[in-house]
Amino acid sequence: MRRSWVPVAVLWLGYTVLMMWAVAQFNWLPEQWAIEAEVVDEAMVLLQYLGAPVMALVLAVMTWALIAWRSNGANRPDGPPQRDNRTVLTTWLIVTSALAIFVVINPGFVGLAEIRGEPSADYVIEVEAAQFFWKVTYPNGTESFDELVVPSERRVRYDVTSVDVNHSFWIPAFRIKIDAVAGLTTQAFATAEHEGGIDDDINLRIQCAELCGAGHASMAMPVRVVSDQEFNEYIETLGEGE
Amino acid sequence: MTMLEDSPAQSTGSTAQDSSTETKPRPKARRPFRWVLRGVVLAIIGWATGVALAIAIRGGSPTDEIVVIVAYVFALIGWLAGVGGIEAFGRQWIGKKPQVNTDPSWGRYFGFSIDHKVIGIQYGVTLIAVLLIGGLAAMIMRIELASPGVGVVDLDDFNKIVSMHGILMVAVAVAGVLGAFGNYVVPIQVGAQDMAFPRINALAFWLLPPVAVGLLGAPLLGSFNAGWTAYAPLSVVNESGQILFNMAIITFGLVSILGAINIIVTVITMRAKGLTWGRLPIFTWAAFSTSLLAFTVTQFFAGALVLVTMDRVVGTSFFAPEVGTSLLYQHIFWFYSHPAVYIMVIPGFGVILELTTTFARKPLFAYKAVVAAFLGIVGLSVVVWAHHMFTSGMADFLHGPFMILTEAISIPTGIIFLSMIGTLWQGALWFRTPLVMAFGWLFNFLIGGITGIFLADIATDIHLHDTYFVVAHFHYTIVGGAIFALLAASFYWFPKITGRMYNEKLGTLFAIWVTVAFNLTFIPLFWAGMNGMNRRIGDYPDAYAGANRFASFAALILGASFLLFVWNMLYSAIRGPKAGPNPWNARTLEWLISSPPPTHNFVKEPVVVGAPYDYGVEGSVHAYFKDPDPAAPPEPTTEDVSAEVQDEALAESQEEVS
Repeated sequence: MRRSWVPVAVLWLGYTVLMMWAVAQFNWLPEQWAIEAEVVDEAMVLLQYLGAPVMALVLAVMTWALIAWRSNGANRPDGPPQRDNRTVLTTWLIVTSALAIFVVINPGFVGLAEIRGEPSADYVIEVEAAQFFWKVTYPNGTESFDELVVPSERRVRYDVTSVDVNHSFWIPAFRIKIDAVAGLTTQAFATAEHEGGIDDDINLRIQCAELCGAGHASMAMPVRVVSDQEFNEYIETLGEGE
Repeated sequence: MTMLEDSPAQSTGSTAQDSSTETKPRPKARRPFRWVLRGVVLAIIGWATGVALAIAIRGGSPTDEIVVIVAYVFALIGWLAGVGGIEAFGRQWIGKKPQVNTDPSWGRYFGFSIDHKVIGIQYGVTLIAVLLIGGLAAMIMRIELASPGVGVVDLDDFNKIVSMHGILMVAVAVAGVLGAFGNYVVPIQVGAQDMAFPRINALAFWLLPPVAVGLLGAPLLGSFNAGWTAYAPLSVVNESGQILFNMAIITFGLVSILGAINIIVTVITMRAKGLTWGRLPIFTWAAFSTSLLAFTVTQFFAGALVLVTMDRVVGTSFFAPEVGTSLLYQHIFWFYSHPAVYIMVIPGFGVILELTTTFARKPLFAYKAVVAAFLGIVGLSVVVWAHHMFTSGMADFLHGPFMILTEAISIPTGIIFLSMIGTLWQGALWFRTPLVMAFGWLFNFLIGGITGIFLADIATDIHLHDTYFVVAHFHYTIVGGAIFALLAASFYWFPKITGRMYNEKLGTLFAIWVTVAFNLTFIPLFWAGMNGMNRRIGDYPDAYAGANRFASFAALILGASFLLFVWNMLYSAIRGPKAGPNPWNARTLEWLISSPPPTHNFVKEPVVVGAPYDYGVEGSVHAYFKDPDPAAPPEPTTEDVSAEVQDEALAESQEEVS
């Protein structure tokens, strides 16, 4: 019988190294503008590293199958009558279960705790969704339909609701998302890190992420991150303007 | 190999029951469309009656939603009666013998035939047609998305096309493999003459055209734009086409449930002598497991849509925006629709493993573990639904349990990969089109599985939910897992069904083409999703233009590949070379009879004596055919009710002719 596990192991190692190198080398993720974004991105990268050897294993077998296990014709000799292999099956079950348990704990529960675990916040901003626009209400009661201005390095709680159908409050640059549901107030937390606006990064925007009707695609609002002081001045002047 | 030649049941060469393979003149079709035409006429009369009745009782116009509902129900009854229900069921109610369509020509495909093989082909052709229409919708979407800004369709029309594409493709994925090959192959693989309830089987199929007409007719009332998910409250307040969506999908649920009952009962009660559960072919196991699932959960989608319909027409407020209960819709909906994902892919697992073992010429690796995995997936799939709702605003304490259960389901799914790898391992791989498709399937489903972990994990799902990452992921699992399996199955069983061989070169070309184009289309969309492009939008910021242009271009190439598929299927079905009973040298029962199989599948009674996939095992036999004992009196069995009905109907129709 041909020994196949050596070349498959070599291929597996090769693919794994290649994929891990690619994960380290190329960053597919957009720029981070909040602490929450770091948590999410870390989780994404960790899962890519964990997925690499799994993917590499299947690819290695596929590659070697294409190279070494070809035969031709309906009357070719049969392959080895291998029905089962307890060791392989048990190992497989243990490894996949261990991987599943691992990802549930980290980044699963660890990430969950970091994003949603701490209920305290420096500011509360109310967000109301409607077909097809956003309304934000700042702590001092002033409102805006044009842009969301948030302080940097302060933890902000967003109290989100809807007046009609379901929408979803998503700021891609912060990696936070929560649905806006009429009759409910849902919450999301984000701590912006540095100052900037939609001109710096298209992902500094509130984007509706739940299909809500004709204007769904264009239901977006720019987000601007400013210093804490500027934020307080901004909401003051916004109040005076009314 | 030697034991195959020695075995008395060996199907290669002249030992097979090839009674129907000699050339006979094709019987001519006699007014083949009369049943469908009668169905259409009675459906129109039913619609008019329903409209008249509803308006007479409550007034209003024919486009009022409640009027549409009444009209739809009447039209559905008219259609079923006209297409053959009168003869198949109605006659029995007045004490006469039921009749079914036994047209020996190609006209049987347009009548109320109860032959499971005819019904399988009817499902297959109908659903491939729906697949192509859904594909056309996808092409329009990709053309619109090729560049930012509003192009060929406006934003609302885009949502409507997305919704139409979604629901048509979901229907194809749910019913494709199970409807076409579940019907055609399962009864033969278990050694039965037909399904347990052949008339119900026919009824289930003839409910399918109204589903397609209902969905495609919705634009007449203002098309539905709430996606295939039809989330309330949007589906309560949008245009009236939503009502036709609801009615069509409730009907489709009926198709699914009736089909599932039939497969469950057939597999439990009609297995051939000696066909124990441990010898059941893996595709039949897959169809059986899927049917258990479809039978259990399908009514939840229908139930959710009934509530939406009541909100719309009788003024209830289950999901009215004011009351904040729209999460209830999502819970009920996903209680069906997450298991539905497995209803789509488990038959795909069955197809792929079935043909991998044939073309690798090795026993199926870890057969028992695979069966356990199927049943494990069936069990787990009903307790993972809320992972679609991590950002929905449901209580935070629900996140943990659903994340654990969702990750847990990756363990049985992993067994499928193990079995596939183990079966391929050191096999004698014969790269015909089905195996090439299976390799494409393996690659796609691998990517689908790996990217699924990002969506099961809450930390990453919060960002990725409702983005193009999700779109790419579920296309990898559903197209990669279910549609690729449907295509692979089409090639694998093509010689059995048509008796002819497809064009191998074109088949392989198609398999490679569709796999490459599919990957080129969806890989860039992972990037777009991660980088902030949400799904179901007809316009997007300029930042995503590059990825979208690339994906659109690749999508057009992907779409074009299906022309090759359709051409190969159609041309080969008519002009292809004769395939013989067992071109793949496979072992399961369907390959031991002629191609195409005789009317009642088996000329002699099959007796199963061994495992289905013991390739390479010295002296192993799966089944042989028992010669009828001339001394024994012919005993009527409970199994061939269908055969009796069909024989009687045939006799009657022959009397009619003479």
